[in-house]
Amino acid sequence: MNESENFVLFDSLKDIRMNGEFTGSIISKWQEKIIFSDNIKISNSEGINITEGLLTGFEKKGNVLNPLSKNSNFDWDMNDVPLEYSVKIPEDTMEKYDQGQFSNDFPFTINLLHTAALLFNDPKYGLNHLDFFKGEILKNPISMIRNGIIVADRVVIDDNGDPVFYDCLIVGRDKNDDLNISYEPIINVDDKVVEYIIILGIEELKI
Amino acid sequence: MLLYENKEQKLLNLLRFTGSPFKKFVSTGEIEEDIGLVHSRQDFIQSIINIIEKEKNFILPIIGNVGTGKTHVYWALKHELYYYNIVYISLENVIKKFYNNTYTEFIENMGIDVLRNIARRLCNEWGALERKFGFFHLGNIEKVKKEAFEKWAPNFDNKDAITDIITAIITHQLDPYKKLEVERWFLGEVIDVRDLSRLNLKHDLRERNNSYTMLKVLVENAMINSVLFIDDVEKIISMMSPISLEEETEEVFDRSWLYGTRQSPDKRRAEKILDKILNLTKIDGLRIIITLKSKEFYKEIVSEIEGKNNNLLKLIKEPIVLSNFVEEDLFHFYKKNLEFFFVHINYFDYIKDFSDSFYPLNDNVLKFIFNQTKGNPREIIKLLIKIFNEILLSYEDLEDVLKKYE
Repeated sequence: MNESENFVLFDSLKDIRMNGEFTGSIISKWQEKIIFSDNIKISNSEGINITEGLLTGFEKKGNVLNPLSKNSNFDWDMNDVPLEYSVKIPEDTMEKYDQGQFSNDFPFTINLLHTAALLFNDPKYGLNHLDFFKGEILKNPISMIRNGIIVADRVVIDDNGDPVFYDCLIVGRDKNDDLNISYEPIINVDDKVVEYIIILGIEELKI
Repeated sequence: MLLYENKEQKLLNLLRFTGSPFKKFVSTGEIEEDIGLVHSRQDFIQSIINIIEKEKNFILPIIGNVGTGKTHVYWALKHELYYYNIVYISLENVIKKFYNNTYTEFIENMGIDVLRNIARRLCNEWGALERKFGFFHLGNIEKVKKEAFEKWAPNFDNKDAITDIITAIITHQLDPYKKLEVERWFLGEVIDVRDLSRLNLKHDLRERNNSYTMLKVLVENAMINSVLFIDDVEKIISMMSPISLEEETEEVFDRSWLYGTRQSPDKRRAEKILDKILNLTKIDGLRIIITLKSKEFYKEIVSEIEGKNNNLLKLIKEPIVLSNFVEEDLFHFYKKNLEFFFVHINYFDYIKDFSDSFYPLNDNVLKFIFNQTKGNPREIIKLLIKIFNEILLSYEDLEDVLKKYE
């Protein structure tokens, strides 16, 4: 992973907070959910504001946990910020990510219309559709792993039933709990370390 | 330990085994020429390079008699200006489908990767890489198309052609299911009507306006500067001249039925070709070099252009004349050819052992060749081929053969 520079905008664990208005590609972790946004405003007086962010994760409806992707504004008072961290992906990393998106080699990708869960490692509500999608290419996977987040252009389930992410942005903590960001063209993850994989639906991205 | 070696005999034996080092006396745009220009032509090539580097749009005529090495100049330029995209076409071969053939030559020279980069960059400019929520590309084809038509299309004259090209570029970038088919379209392949309709395109690149507009897009958006080297442009003038009675072939029908009595079909075709070449000057950054066999052809071309559009004369540079070799050039040329030949067959001793010698020929033979050919490079090579063949294939002694040419 890359050395951290000024990409950490907020980190509750390390008590980092950069005041100001930031635009670009911003990932925020909120409990077990992830917020994607192109803006964030951090100030002592107004707290943290995200306008039109995409919240993804799981939400409980009755006795069932459903995958979620929701477009919303987020405002928190500085005394009561539930965010674990917010990072801004450097532009050169985003360029690499962009270039990997239009690859000749993966023309037959499955786009899901609505957000769905591919894997959820939970003793009570868990689900696993990896075998069903074995050998297929799924577009826009988002994964929470033990120590970080993977946002990828596509995911393929290999012969062992493990997800292989292509064109990935990885945000995570190292052994010193410092936040790091990296880009990997391909990454193979053991499904046991994955907390969940959600496939974003394209209809929800158009909202 | 080797006490004595007859190196001259060894060289001769080697040549008898490998064959003559002089084989080709006509340079073409297809077969690369590895040997550079002779000393007296260094200033000549430098003056062309200066014009190319100083100006973006021009037509530079190079005048040289048959066999003076006009096509060889193309290869010399290509080697010197390796950071330019220099494309060769000969009007002897490219008369029909002029734009399509020129475009295909450009693609062959530049490679499909350049086109892919251009398509990616243009789509980026048109907002295809806009990120929703800071991360996710939506690839909204209709929105990108609208942006492209508003921002970009007004710069092009032919609306149908630019519509096809914008559609192709956007489909290539944003529709992975049609990407490979559009790439075939980019490469200038023949696409059948069903595939064209699936791609939402009207014509493939055989259509004149499409190939011209695509050429314009390619040249104006590539990160590398382009030079188009058009050889044998005098073909236009010779097509325009009336056919002499001796050359006239018996016709089954009177061509004047189709073309009227004033113009022959060849003249019409020649005029069209000239129009097409002049139209290329509208492509920003396309430097054009044309070759002509004589000053008379140059004058006729200029007067034709003047008749069409006086303003275009501003684009035509003073012609550069390519003269025959001077005597010293022949010695240099001969030596360079032999060195290249022996290095090519891994006989490096030649450079060491024969650095001051013209063996198997000698000064007198080379001077004889120069006088006989008056320094015309093609004639020089022809005579060298003849002499070498005589040396290598006949049973006569070397001295006897050389005596005939001294």
